[in-house]
Amino acid sequence: MNGQLTVDQVAEATKEYGPTERVRKNRIRVSADTKKIHEAIRAVQQHLGCDRLILISCTDDTESFGLTYHLTGPHRTIVSLAIAVPRTTPEAVTVSDILPPAAIYERQIHDLFGIVFLGHPGLSKLMLNEGWPDGEYPLRKDWKPEKGKIYDGALRGGA
Amino acid sequence: MTGLCGGVPDMAEMMVPIGPQHPALKEPVNFQIFAEGEKIVRLELNLSYNHRGIEKAAEERNFIRVLPLLERVCGICSHSHATAFAKGIEEIMGLEIPARAQYIRTIIAELERMHSHLLWLGVAAHEIGFDTLLMWTWRDREAVLDTLEEMSGNRVHYNMNEIGGVRLDITRKQVEAAEQRLPVLEERIAQYLDMISRQESVLLRFRGVGKLSKEEILAYGAVGPTARASGVDNDARRDDPHLVYDEIPWNVVTDTSGDVYGRTKVRIGELAESLKIVRHCIENLPEGPVRVASAPKAAPKGEILSRYEAPRGELAHFIRTNGTDKAERLDIRTPTLANWTSVAKALVNQNLADIPVIVAAIDPCLSCTSRMTLIDTGTMTQGYITWDELVRKCRARYGTGAQR
Repeated sequence: MNGQLTVDQVAEATKEYGPTERVRKNRIRVSADTKKIHEAIRAVQQHLGCDRLILISCTDDTESFGLTYHLTGPHRTIVSLAIAVPRTTPEAVTVSDILPPAAIYERQIHDLFGIVFLGHPGLSKLMLNEGWPDGEYPLRKDWKPEKGKIYDGALRGGA
Repeated sequence: MTGLCGGVPDMAEMMVPIGPQHPALKEPVNFQIFAEGEKIVRLELNLSYNHRGIEKAAEERNFIRVLPLLERVCGICSHSHATAFAKGIEEIMGLEIPARAQYIRTIIAELERMHSHLLWLGVAAHEIGFDTLLMWTWRDREAVLDTLEEMSGNRVHYNMNEIGGVRLDITRKQVEAAEQRLPVLEERIAQYLDMISRQESVLLRFRGVGKLSKEEILAYGAVGPTARASGVDNDARRDDPHLVYDEIPWNVVTDTSGDVYGRTKVRIGELAESLKIVRHCIENLPEGPVRVASAPKAAPKGEILSRYEAPRGELAHFIRTNGTDKAERLDIRTPTLANWTSVAKALVNQNLADIPVIVAAIDPCLSCTSRMTLIDTGTMTQGYITWDELVRKCRARYGTGAQR
């Protein structure tokens, strides 16, 4: 097992992309520039040996959506790259080309938050039913189910 | 080559739909398998049959009521979800959890892993028609479930966690009952390991099937026994120590064969390790309180990534708190979601007949992956229900005897 990464190592590798901070013992967070997320992930893969994506977490921050890519590697340190995606144009570039496990997480976020990942090979429904209406993103804070509306096709025509 | 009818192509790709209801897979998933003859060329995956909106519901409930909800993410891994959430919130609150509580959490965690792996071993055996092994492992699993029931009062939804500790203490009598069962289980686990290495039908159907190399596992992000069977030495219990895993002796089990056989060996190896952990913990159970004197109701503003090694692999809860008694956001990444990408890869170039066993080899848990909306089947209306209304309906259904 290699030693854990230091904040300085992470800061050095990601200095072009945004400020770095230690969140707690083995968690280091980089607030990255949204436009440069693809390059930033490539940099932590190449220079910090982060070979594993734990998850892409998504939060609704009202005026924007927060995407955080949590990566780790043999050093057991978690490097989290956080970006903000504007609510008005909820788009981010896909990282599934350099990080294949991202593909399924991006599909999930697309379903539940309506963020479009540009360049994703197949952003089809993953979590929600086939009959789920377009344009309804249930994990957005402003989404409330409409009374009396059927959101899935299961009972159509009676059961 | 041109056919008589003017250009019949070579053997065309054929799409075979499997699921969401299918006799071989007891989980609501749909695969569209594209095959050439008997060989799988590629597949499409659809999980969207079981989304229950638990993450959304978790934002509406306070921490006390979220814990039982999260146990319902998955019956088999109920303790995993509740522990991952509780330890995340406790870390944000800065609580120091009493040692006895952490030991009890670990005991339940490892008993949960044992019952889950025994269940899996039975299912895997069933998928290859070896139903005798299914009967044996499920009988042994009952001994584990009995122990869990004695300690928590429940067979699956143990509800042992509270913010700040555990709900119930373990008594001397419960420890003695567990100590009596452990030697029998230990012997059985050793027998299973020996059996799968010699049993012809297991070797024929497991070896070389669904193979994934170490590089593929790393590239596709698989977790848990699936990854460890390909020589990827990842285990959140050691890599990101939680509960008491950094204080007690135990080993991460890995294998290098990378196929269904390797995943079986890893899980049986983990059964033996879990048993050792349970034994160590009940023998060395420290005295003291089982929860902090008074845990705060609300958590300060914060963000945390809480990792936990569930039976199927690493579980991650990303939690954001906002100073209230409710989570602002709970993002759950289940091990099965992380493993799907590698399954899709492992199936390529395999025989159609091996689909059940390859899929079963990651021990998929769909309800976990796809996380309620209430639908009244009488009136076909859909909507939400208040807590009081739910209580009233339950009492009406089960009679007033349910009231206490």
